[in-house]
Amino acid sequence: MVEAVESEQNEPQFKEYAIEEFLVRSEPYYRPVGDETELFTAAYNQHIPVLLKGPTGCGKTRFVEYMAWKLGRPMTVVRPMDGGRPAQELNEGEVRVPLVTIACHEDLTASDLVGRYLLDSDGTRWIDGPMTRAVKAGAILYLDEVVEARKDTTVLIHPLTDHRRILPVEKTGQIIEADDRFLLCISYNPHYQSALKDLKHSTRQRFISVEFDYPPAEIEAEIVKKESGCNDDQASALAKLGEKVRNLRDHGLAEGASTRLLIYAGRLMTEGIPPRRACQVAIVWTLTDEPELQRSVEEVVSSIFE
Amino acid sequence: MSNAPFDELEAELAKFPPAVLDAYREALEAMETSFSSEELLLWAKEGTAIAGQTVRSWESAVEYYRVCPLVARSLAFPSFMQWARCGTYLSQDSPALAVSFFKASPSIVSNLRPQYIPRWAGLGRSLYKGTWKSSTLSGRFFEVSPDLIRNLPFWDVEVFASLVEALSYKSYDVAVECLTLGKDVLPAMGREREAFLAMCRALSDGNWREVKSCFEVAPKALQQIDEGQTSRFLKLGERLTKVGIRDTARFLTDGSLALGQIPQSSQAHILDLCEGLLAVTPEAVPCFLKSLDGVMHRVTINQLDTWFHHGVQLLKDNPESGIAFFKVESNTSESLLETLSSSLELERVKGIVRLYCRALSGTPIEVLNTQELVRRNIGWVDEDTASTDGTKVFLPPVVDHYQDKAQNFSWFKVVATHQVGHLEFGSFDYDFSRPALLFEEERRYALERERGAEQINEDVLVGDVEADGQMRSYTDIGRLLSLFDDRRLAFDLFTVLEDCRLDYRIKVEYPGIRQTAMDVQGDTLSRRPEVEDLPLQEALVELLIRMSLDQFNNLPIPVDYHEEATILAQILHVLRNEAANVEDTGEATLRAYEIISRLENETQPEDQWEPEDMEEPGDFSEEEFQSLLDKLQASQDSSGDAGEGDPYDSPEPVDYRGDFKPEMVQLLTKLQMDQNQQGEGEPLSQEMLEQLLQDSAELELDAEQGDINNSTSTFAQNIMKEAGVPPPNSQPGQGYGPLLHDDDQGGELEAREPKAYVYDEWDFRANDYKPRWCVVKEKSLDEGDSAFYNDALKNYSTLLSHIKRQFELIMPETFRKIYRMVDGEDIDLNAALEAAADIRMKVPPDEKIYWRRNKIERNVSVVFLLDMSASTAEAIDEGRHTVDDRDAPDDPVEYMVWLRRRREGLVRRHYKRIIDLEKESTALLIQALESIGDNYGIYGFSGYGRENVEFYVIKDIEENFTERIKRRIDKITPLHATRMGSAIRHAITKLENQDSPTKIMFLISDGRPQDRGYSREGVEKEYAVHDTHMALLEAKRKDITPFCLTVDKAGHDYLKEMCGDMGYEVLGDIWALPERLPMLYRQLTA
Repeated sequence: MVEAVESEQNEPQFKEYAIEEFLVRSEPYYRPVGDETELFTAAYNQHIPVLLKGPTGCGKTRFVEYMAWKLGRPMTVVRPMDGGRPAQELNEGEVRVPLVTIACHEDLTASDLVGRYLLDSDGTRWIDGPMTRAVKAGAILYLDEVVEARKDTTVLIHPLTDHRRILPVEKTGQIIEADDRFLLCISYNPHYQSALKDLKHSTRQRFISVEFDYPPAEIEAEIVKKESGCNDDQASALAKLGEKVRNLRDHGLAEGASTRLLIYAGRLMTEGIPPRRACQVAIVWTLTDEPELQRSVEEVVSSIFE
Repeated sequence: MSNAPFDELEAELAKFPPAVLDAYREALEAMETSFSSEELLLWAKEGTAIAGQTVRSWESAVEYYRVCPLVARSLAFPSFMQWARCGTYLSQDSPALAVSFFKASPSIVSNLRPQYIPRWAGLGRSLYKGTWKSSTLSGRFFEVSPDLIRNLPFWDVEVFASLVEALSYKSYDVAVECLTLGKDVLPAMGREREAFLAMCRALSDGNWREVKSCFEVAPKALQQIDEGQTSRFLKLGERLTKVGIRDTARFLTDGSLALGQIPQSSQAHILDLCEGLLAVTPEAVPCFLKSLDGVMHRVTINQLDTWFHHGVQLLKDNPESGIAFFKVESNTSESLLETLSSSLELERVKGIVRLYCRALSGTPIEVLNTQELVRRNIGWVDEDTASTDGTKVFLPPVVDHYQDKAQNFSWFKVVATHQVGHLEFGSFDYDFSRPALLFEEERRYALERERGAEQINEDVLVGDVEADGQMRSYTDIGRLLSLFDDRRLAFDLFTVLEDCRLDYRIKVEYPGIRQTAMDVQGDTLSRRPEVEDLPLQEALVELLIRMSLDQFNNLPIPVDYHEEATILAQILHVLRNEAANVEDTGEATLRAYEIISRLENETQPEDQWEPEDMEEPGDFSEEEFQSLLDKLQASQDSSGDAGEGDPYDSPEPVDYRGDFKPEMVQLLTKLQMDQNQQGEGEPLSQEMLEQLLQDSAELELDAEQGDINNSTSTFAQNIMKEAGVPPPNSQPGQGYGPLLHDDDQGGELEAREPKAYVYDEWDFRANDYKPRWCVVKEKSLDEGDSAFYNDALKNYSTLLSHIKRQFELIMPETFRKIYRMVDGEDIDLNAALEAAADIRMKVPPDEKIYWRRNKIERNVSVVFLLDMSASTAEAIDEGRHTVDDRDAPDDPVEYMVWLRRRREGLVRRHYKRIIDLEKESTALLIQALESIGDNYGIYGFSGYGRENVEFYVIKDIEENFTERIKRRIDKITPLHATRMGSAIRHAITKLENQDSPTKIMFLISDGRPQDRGYSREGVEKEYAVHDTHMALLEAKRKDITPFCLTVDKAGHDYLKEMCGDMGYEVLGDIWALPERLPMLYRQLTA
């Protein structure tokens, strides 16, 4: 993964997309653990919104990216709904399922999602918010950490997630029917939400729930290896470390070491940082500030890594 | 009034030098107002009596008349005359003495009870021995008397005077010097004065010269020592002096310096040690104290004990080497310190090791001291050997194998990893019916059938046959081991093979620990017995052990049994594979047993051994094995006898691997499981268990043959207790009745009434929680009169309006729209119009055209915890005297009486108490909180003992503010003790149920947390502070912000430790509380 991108002019390289035009073009690495890809595909075909549950850094976001890529691939047959628009002709190489990701935070309001009026040189102009754009463009709309958003967002989520599949735009007085390819997908980490921030049942029950957890050690080792480029031994040792550290959840650690952190550690090792040191900065110190806990985790690290 | 007598008197006085008459006349004027004429006459006459004593006594008379007006102010006439007579007597002996006496008198009589005056005069007189020097001394005594009398109780003055007198026999100079020093030194002392004087008194008999230096060094020296220990320290000095140890002053300086270096809480313990030492060899005490500082830098207080006791032992054998030991001038002492200082106590790393084990195993493992395991008496006997019972890992209390702490810790780690390995890699999961992965043939079934047949044959005779031919075994390991005739050998083989498998696996799984593990193995190897000295069977087992410890080269192999050894090595190598499971160990055991059991256990001649490498013995093959077995069987059959040889003896245990008792662990687990699913199958009876235990090879009953039955039945009972099985025919009162929970030694508590809650308590010594240790009883506070509340508001009306204003300022912010934002909820019309206009005018418009609400929505829940301990009854005006809990009794009943007595004196009050200010502050705070709309609860806490933590609801967090709450505030009164930890934990529970994003716990106290069995546990005074700290930490972990406000000026001493990095404030001026409290709260939440 560590590919130094060096252009000849040494100029920064970036690409700009309109939010609904962002397509996952190259295959993201995702290692299915169970039947989650089949479930998601089925839900997508059947217009069933999906709720992804799981701890931080276990691959929820990557999964959605992967599914957007997979579903958008030409060979995917997007089955037309009855009375819907006819099956599209899919040209070779054409990718049709954009991915709109919105990280939710406590200030995210409905109008942030739907859109707002902006001033133009001669008057005002309505600008669609990301949700509206996704609904129109037939994207997968991924609301990350949805419980963090303001309560008024549920007003939008509800009509979009039942049979109506509509988005009421209050300010313009419009209702937008979702594109056939549109799917709402939300994620939610049951671990660090207080009772207060729990999803309401009326909301929850509009989704199917796919549970994510950290993958089993062998698969995790495979993922760490692939993502970080470290060697087999390091990868399986990291996976083992992940497993052991997660055992300390509820014994002082609020969260176990995520796959993401393991990958970070692996990447540092690939760069030549000694394994124990890499784990210390990527895992031990990231996870906790309590000295005794740090020492304990470090002891586990020093048992696993030479 | 007739003047005749007075005229006469004047005439008399005129005979003396004129100064006398002058003094008389001058005094008379003043005296006339105090005394009647009769009294006056007596007074005046006394003057003539004084003047007439000796040639120079007129001087005394002058002084007499001069001071009389002053003295008369303080004394009634009879006492006055008594005083005057004292002067007369003194002037009889020495006029100069009388002069000093009179001179000192005016300031004395106002401070001394009249009946003591003659005794005081007597003290001065006793110092006078008729010599010039003694007169100076005596005069000096009267000179310093005012200071002494004012500052010391009279009896201390008496003791001091007698000390001075004793010294005066030796040297007047020293006596005078001490007298002068004493004037300054003694008043500065507290309770230790008595002990100090006693010590000096003891000195004055022998080394009187030292008294002076003692006076000189004492003030500084004693400051170093904990107040409560000074008396003991001085007493020690006294006893040392009495046995003739010289250089007491040095003892004072050195000793106090040494004590001053160690924590106050340990000082008492050191003094205990000193006293013990005094009984053995007094000379060693100063040496000990002198070395103490250096020693304490190297070892902990517990380790000090070990060092100390070693020294005492040495003293008893050879006093000289003992003293050298305590001076740390001997090798023994030095090397012992070296060992101790590098040794590592489990207690200190327990927390880390526990988490480490939990991480590795993934189960909530407990880490305990091995002594704990032995105490349970369920079959484990070795106090120094690590072990596990499946849910707990037992480690030795101290490691001192290496000269380095880090290495010793590594040893702990290796041992702990090995023990956890048993769990992680399934040593206890042995399942007879699960196939082994690496051994192809499942020989155990064949053997079982074979054995089963034998068994049935035997059983037929007894008439007890099991239909399926399987042997009865309670556990799977038991079932395996029951296949062997020599269970001992089989079990030893199983142990070494399983440990070999584990060690290999651990090295593969945990490469980081490989090096340390190899070091430990290397060490162990160097201590193994010589293979050549052992009889054959044991030698082969020993060979297996060595190979399991990674020694494959240069193994002494008996020449005649080369093939056997090779195949054994092959078997062992099968297990050195990541894929090997515990069932493989079982199969390996079976095979190894079949070989070894067929050999004669005889010692091999020396020349029959050859060193060989067994690194690659080749792959194990069933055919070769079978052919070897056939060969062995054939030779056994041909030789006819069973080949007795020596009886087989178990090998020496491999120390770091600890005690491995799979059968016991499976037994315990199974018993527990059976217990949980009652009704399924027949539970194991005690008799059956006893039978099992007797058959088990794991139990080495050290008892005599006759006692075995007895101890197995004890074991069986203990094991059943451990597993939670009620013993058969148990009756209440036999130890299984309701447990008595009522003392500190008792166990867990239960909430037996509504609104009672049980909480754990943190024991920092154990580094663990005491489960269900405290009962918090929630009560609503009685209602009193709301007048208090209203008065408080009235009295503080200015402050109140200020506070309210401050709080109201917070409020509007939450609803205020913020205009001119780049982004917001909606268009800011004014800005938008401006922008539109700008555009029309071809001017670039301002893009800040939105408004939005302030994003911080105030949503705060707060709990206030008021300290309602007895100490809050203290008056504020009268200064704070330190609360002395040291002599608080332990018995709950006496404790209550003690508390009540302490409070009684404070009931009738005209002054303000700490609690009054707390109450007033609460009233103001409520006003402030009501204005801001925060969600708040106010609670008071107190209690006595862990079973009675009282938690008073003044305003519950969900309750609305009503008149009733005003009335409750009136009833906040000082009650009992303060067990802060539990109160905090209950407050956490209250807050936890609130859904505000901001949660605050505000603790208002007046001193240290203290309670029966909470703050006075000998050395462990810190217990309460640590528990409170932990409770605060728990709050923090639950996203509650704790804050401690204390009005105890000494608060800085312990709050740092108690609160850590959490917020706290020590309020220097308690009067500031009503103002400070709301302001602090505002700061905290703004």
